[in-house]
Amino acid sequence: MVVGEIAEEKDVVVIGGGPGGYQAAIRAAQLGRKVTLIEKENVGGVCLFTGCIPSKLFAEAGKKRSSLNSLSRLGIAVREDSFDLSVLQSTKQKVIAQLQSGIEKLIHENRIERIKGSAYFLANDRIGVESGHTFSIFRFSSAIIAAGCSIAGTKESEDHRLLDYESIYALQEVPKHLAVIGDDYLALEAASSFQQLGAKVTLVVEKEDFHFEASINKELKRIFKKRNIKMHFNQKVQQIDSNEEEIKIVLEGEDGQTSSLLASHMVKAASREPNSFHLGADRLKMKTGKNGHILINDACQTSIEGIYAVGDITEGPALAVKAIKQGKVAAEVIAGCSAEYDGRFLPLILHTNPPVSSCGLTEDEAKEMYKNSRTASFPLAALGISAVTGNREGMVTVIIDEATDVLLGLHAIGEGAVELAASSVLALEMAGRTEDLTFGLYAHPSVSEGLLEAVEALTGKSIHLAAGQSKINV
Amino acid sequence: MEIKLHDIGEGMTQAELIHYFVKPGDKINADDPLVEVQTDKMTAEIPSPASGIVKELMIEPGATIAVGTTIMLIEAVNSTKSREPNTRAVKEFATKSSDVKKIDTEINKTKRILASPYTRKIARDHQISIEMIDGSGPGGRISDEDIYSAIKAEKIQTNQTPARTEEVIKEKQSSIPYSGIRRKIGNKVTQSLFTVPHCTHFEEVDVTELLQFKEQLKKEGKNISATIFFIKALGVCLREFPVFNSSLDEKNELIVLHPAIHIGLATDTADGLLVPVLKNISQKSFRALQEEMREIQQKAKDKALSMADLTGSTFTVSNAGPLGGSIGATPILNYPESALMAFHKIKKRPMVNAKDEIVIRSMMNISMTYDHRIIDGGSAVMFTNRFAELIEQPISMMVELT
Repeated sequence: MVVGEIAEEKDVVVIGGGPGGYQAAIRAAQLGRKVTLIEKENVGGVCLFTGCIPSKLFAEAGKKRSSLNSLSRLGIAVREDSFDLSVLQSTKQKVIAQLQSGIEKLIHENRIERIKGSAYFLANDRIGVESGHTFSIFRFSSAIIAAGCSIAGTKESEDHRLLDYESIYALQEVPKHLAVIGDDYLALEAASSFQQLGAKVTLVVEKEDFHFEASINKELKRIFKKRNIKMHFNQKVQQIDSNEEEIKIVLEGEDGQTSSLLASHMVKAASREPNSFHLGADRLKMKTGKNGHILINDACQTSIEGIYAVGDITEGPALAVKAIKQGKVAAEVIAGCSAEYDGRFLPLILHTNPPVSSCGLTEDEAKEMYKNSRTASFPLAALGISAVTGNREGMVTVIIDEATDVLLGLHAIGEGAVELAASSVLALEMAGRTEDLTFGLYAHPSVSEGLLEAVEALTGKSIHLAAGQSKINV
Repeated sequence: MEIKLHDIGEGMTQAELIHYFVKPGDKINADDPLVEVQTDKMTAEIPSPASGIVKELMIEPGATIAVGTTIMLIEAVNSTKSREPNTRAVKEFATKSSDVKKIDTEINKTKRILASPYTRKIARDHQISIEMIDGSGPGGRISDEDIYSAIKAEKIQTNQTPARTEEVIKEKQSSIPYSGIRRKIGNKVTQSLFTVPHCTHFEEVDVTELLQFKEQLKKEGKNISATIFFIKALGVCLREFPVFNSSLDEKNELIVLHPAIHIGLATDTADGLLVPVLKNISQKSFRALQEEMREIQQKAKDKALSMADLTGSTFTVSNAGPLGGSIGATPILNYPESALMAFHKIKKRPMVNAKDEIVIRSMMNISMTYDHRIIDGGSAVMFTNRFAELIEQPISMMVELT
């Protein structure tokens, strides 16, 4: 390795080719900047290889499989219900490869220079890239750090039955009995998908309830229960003993009483740490949070002029949706646009079956912050479309400020909830009020009518709720 | 970035903020002067440590502040022209926690901006802080119009600035601000005059011989000004009459006799009266003192005097001669010093010599002010007589020099 070579001049350097990084690179290129993308592996990041895409593929498989039972009512006979995980795994590889080559193509078409290697900051305007035996130094005018997080430390155990949310989607066989520890979206999605792919699932939650809007919590619990997903709330994992046959998980309740849970596999979130140290952020004295997350402002600028950071390596939820937006904001700011990242109405999405989307304040939060808030829920079962599809689960809940009619929160569970999130985010970002949602025309029959009826239910005007049944909580 | 009042000279603990060279929103480069501060004896400019944009001025001009006080906030410039992200950074750095759930709640607890994203972009594009705008729409909704009127208001403000400056200049013609060095001088002479019972007497000194001596030296290429001779002569007098090189410590009932002789040179500058100090004059040669005085006067002219240059005098002289000055004055003591001597214009006058002949002599008047609490008129007369003797026979002074 020869250090001290002349630094090559670069314009915008993007470190990391995950969703935040590649979108930042493309946006910067669109705005006329010369972009260099440094990624030590393949473009796509955790999202593509082990995160969003694999888990959503499994969720899709689970959903399709569970829908088989309802096909006979449409006259479609299903001869046998079998599931081959190895086929799903090979489909996963194909999907990943397809999406990866799509990203590579976009990078190429946008004339983005692609460098394979690991990057390390040498100074506020210089970065070293090690690739095999070569080491190059680049001087940049702007840099965007999109290097994400890595699983912290070495694996606690070599036991292949103790899983995290990346390794679980690489399983070659469906677990007999999967114990899911946690209540974040990863836990709930794994519980839902694997139950529908044939596993017995037990969910262990430390708190007394899920952390969504109360009406969503209630409906989700009802549905999980119906699916035979066993849920233990107020339970802490105290100890894990595994022998050849099974895993024994010792749980401790609120009252200090212990009980044990026997499972074939267990999944819980791996602790992840931001890759800021590997990048030499500390060497630059870049401001970081307690856990090493890079601190940024709403223009995605770090404490060092000319260096930006986006995605999981920054503070806040580790979600691709955040990384994607921040990547674009950083690129636009570098190009001289006045972009801003505001995560207030970041939609929370669960690809469970049925899915959940949640945006804005919950009823409890609204009560705390506003003098008079009003909440109404509308069950999707009352819609014509539900009778057609047979998907009768779920509801839409809306919360407004009574004084101004401004929408404060929109929450949905049920088929179509994820797509409904687009309306929720739009309505909240536009500072929409009740009439803004009831004025327009809604496709009929459609799940979106659930949103309309929920807003109408705020004033007792929902058509499909029986008189007096309009649930109005003041 | 906080700009603080740092220690700009020995023993300085506080300063008065005189004037800002910048206003919020100004772009500044490293080393640009930001603010002028005034200590007891000098004014100093605080330069900017970095390039950036002035965010906020924290102190009202005219206020006296202690060393370490934050004067203003500056944000480092980012690569995209004049956006204002770093304040936001500071704000967020201060409140952000690594706990994800907590951040979410914190986002929810801050004021929601009731405006569409399109409207928010108009505000950002014009560097308007949308958080500061009260929406005129129902429920406090911010409209495009609200943003445009804020932009207009800002423009009007900017356009009006020159007019305002003109008004200030007009005001200045009829009233001069009593602040800065002017006020310091005022406070100091008031304190001195109200504390010390002053007494001044006048004397005339024949400087004919001295001027001849000086002329002779000049011919030899050794240019020593009259002031240096006066200072050297005073050095002799002050050793013989140490009470003139003292201060009264009334509280401890002590007359403190200073072991060293440091001569303050009352100097007229564009900013007002300053008193730079020539230290340990007894130990220095005429030539060294001449050189030192030249330096110090240049510094005064360049406004480059340091705190060290301005402190520690034990006796002050005021040379009104070069100003084409007066025949006498009643100078006010440079408190807490006990005495001060002023030299007036040298003038050829007809004098009567020992042989009762009228001769033309170069005469200089001196005014001697002293603290009457510790010095009586008799001693003062003896002091000035001794001084006159040394000046009138400059050769005799040589005998006394150490």
